[in-house]
Amino acid sequence: MNARARWRPVALAWAALMALLLLTLGLAYLPLGRLNLVAALAIAAAKAALVVVVFMHPRRGPSALRVAAVVGVATLSLLFGLSSLDFGTRHAEPAAAQVPKQLPPLRQPGPGPRPER
Amino acid sequence: MAAVLPARPTPEAAPQDHEVGLLGMWIFLVTELLFFGGLFLAYAVARAHAPEAFALAGAHTHVVLGTINTALLLTASALVAGAVSAGEADRASRAVPWLLGLAAALGVAFLAVKGAEYVSEWHEHLVPGPDFALRDVGGAQLFFVLYWTMTALHGVHVAVGVAVLALFARGTHRLSAWATPRRVEVAGLYWHFVDLVWIVLYPLLYLMGRHP
Repeated sequence: MNARARWRPVALAWAALMALLLLTLGLAYLPLGRLNLVAALAIAAAKAALVVVVFMHPRRGPSALRVAAVVGVATLSLLFGLSSLDFGTRHAEPAAAQVPKQLPPLRQPGPGPRPER
Repeated sequence: MAAVLPARPTPEAAPQDHEVGLLGMWIFLVTELLFFGGLFLAYAVARAHAPEAFALAGAHTHVVLGTINTALLLTASALVAGAVSAGEADRASRAVPWLLGLAAALGVAFLAVKGAEYVSEWHEHLVPGPDFALRDVGGAQLFFVLYWTMTALHGVHVAVGVAVLALFARGTHRLSAWATPRRVEVAGLYWHFVDLVWIVLYPLLYLMGRHP
């Protein structure tokens, strides 16, 4: 296999990644409502898939490697799935985000005996 | 009864060594995935509770610098993939150290851009605390807590990746015995993972709330 044939998939994947980067940047400036987030995440997933499949060669190596990768993704899905069930079905009591402020000192300076403990 | 011990395998003569190296790195990367996964979950939950605040706060990040950094990391990943492929064809290929060195340089450029961004955000009072610029927007601090935590954690990974790439660039340049193409491939996996994390961080941190 000559150098050109070897680097071709890498070069094509790089070009596709750059195109997807520009696409996701452009889409972010269009008012699409909820689709903005969906498109951004879908493009991120496509970019990630390109990097994994073309650059990381998951099909090479022992099958235990693919099992490890799938177990990792499955565990992450479990984490997201069960947590979403919890947060999604719970009535949200929106706590006002606390504004940081400087509290007055607890002990006032001045003369006099120290208070007994 | 004399025990027959197998000869100690050399790095080149032991394909199973390579498999162990690859498998070990993939398992490590899975733990890294779950490490970052907790933060991504925190982001998802916080964003679900304060979508407007996240859109407003997200529009304060530096989208040009973030996009440049994404391009830098994607390119560096392609260079590492090219180095792995060149090393497999010819172990002594001069392209390997150059591609790895260039990828490490792009990693340093990423960190420089990120540093400039941090300095600018510090002056814009985008660090959560008493002087936070968007203190009136409930939930905006959450966005920036996650922004700083995730980018800083990712930045540490980039720094480690740069060190690993530079080490292998040096090793392959000198044709050191330890810098085998197989180990370059295993090291490259780590760099690709750092790239993967940024691919997801980029839309979450830089592309929120950009449209009118």
